[in-house]
This record gives sequence, C-alpha cells and structure tokens, in this order.
Amino acid sequence: MPIIELRAVSKLYGFGDATTLALDEASLSIEPGEFVAVMGPSGCGKSTMMNIIGLLDRPSHGEFLLNGRKVARLSPNQAAKIRRDTIGFIFQSFNLLPRMTALENVALPLAYKNMSTTRRLKLASSMLDRVGMQPREYYLPSQLSGGQVQCVAIARALVNNPRLIVADEPTGNLDSTDSRLVMELLSEVHKMGNTIIFVTHNPELTRYATRVVYMHDGQIVQDEATALGQVAKTAKRAMYRIHAPTEEDDLAGVSALMKIHDDKPVKKSAKAKSKSHKPKRRSKR
Amino acid sequence: MSPYTRGNIKIAIAMLRANKGRSLLTMLGIIIGVVAVITVVGIGQGIKHQVSARINHVGQDLITVQPATAKASNSVLNALSPVRLSGGLAADDLHTVTTTPGVARAAALGVVPGTVKANGKTYTAGPVIATNPDLAVILNQNLQYGAFFAPNDVDSSVAVLGANVATTLFGQPAPLGQNFTFRGQTFVVNGIFNDFASAPLSSDADFNNTIFIPYSMAQLLTNNNASIYEILAKPTDSGKLASVRHDIDQRLYKLHGNSHDVVVLEQSQVADETNGVLNLLTELIAGAAAVSLLVGGIGIMNIMLVSVTERMHEVGIRKAVGATNRQILIAFLTEATVLSITGGIIGIVIAFIIDICLRIFTSLTPIVSWQVVLLAAGVSIAVGIIFGSVPALKAARKDPIVALRNE
Repeated sequence: MPIIELRAVSKLYGFGDATTLALDEASLSIEPGEFVAVMGPSGCGKSTMMNIIGLLDRPSHGEFLLNGRKVARLSPNQAAKIRRDTIGFIFQSFNLLPRMTALENVALPLAYKNMSTTRRLKLASSMLDRVGMQPREYYLPSQLSGGQVQCVAIARALVNNPRLIVADEPTGNLDSTDSRLVMELLSEVHKMGNTIIFVTHNPELTRYATRVVYMHDGQIVQDEATALGQVAKTAKRAMYRIHAPTEEDDLAGVSALMKIHDDKPVKKSAKAKSKSHKPKRRSKR
Repeated sequence: MSPYTRGNIKIAIAMLRANKGRSLLTMLGIIIGVVAVITVVGIGQGIKHQVSARINHVGQDLITVQPATAKASNSVLNALSPVRLSGGLAADDLHTVTTTPGVARAAALGVVPGTVKANGKTYTAGPVIATNPDLAVILNQNLQYGAFFAPNDVDSSVAVLGANVATTLFGQPAPLGQNFTFRGQTFVVNGIFNDFASAPLSSDADFNNTIFIPYSMAQLLTNNNASIYEILAKPTDSGKLASVRHDIDQRLYKLHGNSHDVVVLEQSQVADETNGVLNLLTELIAGAAAVSLLVGGIGIMNIMLVSVTERMHEVGIRKAVGATNRQILIAFLTEATVLSITGGIIGIVIAFIIDICLRIFTSLTPIVSWQVVLLAAGVSIAVGIIFGSVPALKAARKDPIVALRNE
C-alpha cells in the first residue's frame, strides 16, 4: 500500500478572474521507503503539493490517501493530530522559534502530546545527538549557522518518529557545504526506513534520491526512478534548461546586435550597448 | 496540572517579562479597578465597624431626639454634611423628654455661638456645646482629668474640654483650673474628657474638639435663647426602650401642636441610616471600579490582539508541528489570564499598602476582608478569560499556511 496517494488533486487560489490553478489534477503515488526529489521551476505548484501532502493545506478537488486513509477533507484538529504523529516538516526558512533554545525547539512537537517536560527534553536531547547538534543544544537559533539551524529543524521533524518527512527546499537557504551536510543527514534518516519527499532546485542533490518527479504548471510532467548516487536524467534536462540559451534568448541577442549595426552615431550606439547587456554577457561564456 | 498547561504558564510569564513596560500598561486598568474595589469596600466596612463600636460603647438603649428638618430627606448630600448643628429644639422639649415616665437621664446638645479666648488666643477648631450633667453618663464617657459638671454647679461658669481642646487652647493636656472667656463670661476648666471614639461620616460634632458648658449657663448668656440640635435620653429599663421612645414621640407631638417636626430614634435606627448611606456610596464607587475593570479587560484584549498578530508566524510553526486549535487557544488564554492575574495581585498589594497608609495617616481604619480580596482576584481572572478569548480564538482559527506566511 502506498504511503502517499494523490488522485487528480487540484488546488485553486482566489476567486473569479483572479483564480489561479496551483495544482492541475496532479496524481502521484509514493511507496514507503522512497526518497523522492521534486523539481520544477518557481510557481509550478511544488510547494502547494508539499503543503497538501503535509496536511497543512487542503486540496480543492481530488482525493488524497495517507497510509490508505482518506485525508483530503479532515477537520483542522484531525489534521493537526496526523501532522503531529506521522509527518515531520522541514522548511526552507527553518521556522524555529527564535526565543527558544535548540533543545526546546526540538521538544516542541512533544509538548502537544502532553508529555512530561523531563521526558520531552531527554528525547529532544537524544534526537539532537543523532543530528550531531547536542553540544549546542542550549544555543538560540540566532547563535547557530544556517546549516546547524536546519539540522536542529531536522531533529525537530524526527522527534515524533514520523513515517513521512516532508521537506520544502531544505537546502534553499544554505551554501553548498551546508546543503551537503543536510542532505547526508536526510539520507541517513532514509536509510532507517523513513519515507522522504523533498523539493530542490539543485540537480546535484538528486544523487541522494531514489526517484525524481518533475513538475510544470501544476502538473507532474516527468516521473523517473533513479539510482542512488546518480544525477537523474530529468534533473540533467533541468540543468540544460537553466544553463543553455534558448532560441528566444538567441533572437533577443540578434535583434540587439542589429540595432548596433543600424545606428551609426556613437552616442546612440553606446545606448544600444547598454541595452544589449544581457546577450553580451552570455556571449562571453 | 498537565505538563502542557505548566509549559503555557511558563511561556506566558516569560512573555510578560520580555515586554515589562507594555505588560504593566496593559495591566493598569485591572490594577486600578482592584485597588479601588478593595479600598472602597474596606473603608466602608471600617466605618460601619467604627459606628457599631461606638454604639456599643454608648449603649443600644440610647434614644435620640432631633428636629425633623435635618432628617427631611435621605439624600446623600444631606447625610454627608458632617455636622447638623442647626437648632430646632428648645428648653421645653428637653423638659418634656426629662419628665417622660421611664426616662432615667436626658441631656441636651446645643451649639452656642461666640468666640472662645484664652491667654490672648482665639479657639476656632470646634464648637461650644451646651449640655447637662447627665451627658457623660449617657455617652458612657470617662474623664481623663477632673470631673464633669455636678448637678449643683449647672449655674456656675465651669467647662469641660474635649481631649484635643486642652492641647490646642492651653498647650497642655490637663489645664484644670485655667480660664477662658466666652461671650464676656470667664469659664473655669473643670475636666477633660478621654478621647471619644471617632466615627467618620457620623452626623455628630467631633466631641474631641468641643468645649462643653452647662445648658443653664448657656440659657443665661443667650437670654433663654439657646437652641438644641439633639436630645439624648436613656430609659430606666432598657427592655422598655421601644415604649419609652414611643412615649417621648407622642408627648413631643402634642407639645408641638400635633405636628411631626421632631424625630425620635433608637440607636439601631441611627446606625441603619448611616449604613444605608455607606452602602449606597460603596455601591456607587464599586460600580465605577467595575467600569475600570471592564476598561482594563478591553486593554488586555487590545494588547493580546497585537501579540497574536505579532506572533502569527509562531502560531503557524506550532500548528505545523502538530498543535491543535484548542492547544493554541489555551496557550493564548493562559497568557491573557496570567496578565490579568498579575494585575490583580499587584492591585491587591497596592490596596494593602493604601490600607496601611490610611490607618497611619487618617482616622479611618479600613477593614479588608478576605472575601473582597477573593472577589477581586476572581474578577481579574474572569476578565482575563473573557477578554482573552477573542484574540485567542483569532489565533486558534488561523489557517496554518496563512499563519506561516506571516513573517
């Protein structure tokens, strides 16, 4: 039985003419133990899908089964309990409480289970030990580096022993060293049997994933199983898209060049040069 | 107490400490309300206690005769005018009361206008009151020094001083045998009273500042024109108090040509009247204090709304890690309640300080009962819960996604 099953899930925002379709009948099935990378350009509906999978948001249409249970129309309180017990969330902007120490932050989900303070802090401390942050458990988030903060956030996501980890661009605010650190940690969590679904813009990070899903305009356009340690083909295509100039870019460059040759006077040509700034930089490469 | 609740209280106290100034301003309404309620009720209780203590000292069987004009209305203003010394009774009335069967003793009280001079000093702090030798016995008041007028020196120029007069006029506590002049007559100080139990808000003159002279002497000085504002009488048998009172009333009624221009009261009736006025006053001021509590509650609601808006992102995080709507609601309610309870406690402490100051610096002895303190504490808790619920509901019902987007 799949742990996540989205059946033609749509999400609409706004009303009337301002309606936008964030998810357009997306269907996705994820088996337990998978490590799924979700890729796609900005605004393609990745975050919306993650929020729906993480039960933070409800789909407008379609059905969502979590562990075989229909969860698309749950009450806020039922959703909160499922979030607490089976889902761990990791955010791009970390979302730790700034006034609390790392330890208290990790212990936070346990507070909503009405666990005694001592047991809570003990459990949180051992969880921080697992992510290698125990020596800094009494630091405030503002006293830690980005990578360290994200490690604390991962510990918080893990503290309830959730079956599913949902990470929305966990490395989006980190440099490459910290990104590697965080991904190694997630990989470790995956090895212990958790299902992980994460969003990334960095194709290199698909090396950690067992499956890559590529989204475009609210739909899943590519779904590919990939070997651990290999950059996915979809991701390579994404890389290609990002780095290579398209036909449109070339045309823009040509029209700019044409302007330069048409206009004889020096003053105007200087103006045109500044306009053709973008294509020129590309030609340097 | 569940760990969750304890954690909430800890967080609430931490928040209160983090924004000390803001919290204090928020609590101000509650503080003022609680202080006002406790102090006003305490003063009211204190005065009631003083009045009843004085009545017990004088005796429950005292009968008071007063002109009806002074009693015409029960209005607060009338009751509040400190001394009703206007005349209205005459020597005939005193005679009637004295000769009523069953009356053991009777004493008139009448203010005699005029200036008192001794050693070149003029005395202005209190009135000169003409009275009978029975007064000291009727009021159950002992003398500190000397003696009250004996029945045989009612026609001589002797005087008895209230305790304060002695020191104010003569600069010594026991000026026995000293002289002062009043309306051209030289009086000799015969005795000095002990301190009279003070009774704030009572309609009597402050006897501690009064100079007493014999009534017949006053008649002499004023050409038989000395007016009487009150006649005090005691029955021979205190069991027949009611019937004696009734007899006096009837006889005076006839004497005044069948008109009810005199009121004859028992002590309990006098006390009832004072208490009635006090209760009314207490209710009025307690009502104003209740308004202050209401305003304080609105202040708490206001600041909690600000706090909820400020911490919307935090609410989102807490919801994302599994907090239910109810748990968020309780967290914010706890914070509002901690705020209002702290205000209540500060208010109670300030009220006690004011109470001590009043005891030290005034003649009031407020009585703060634990019921009032409990009531004030209860009301401040209720204010926190009632006015905290609106902002707490706002936070609890927020959609987690929307809340997370608030940075």
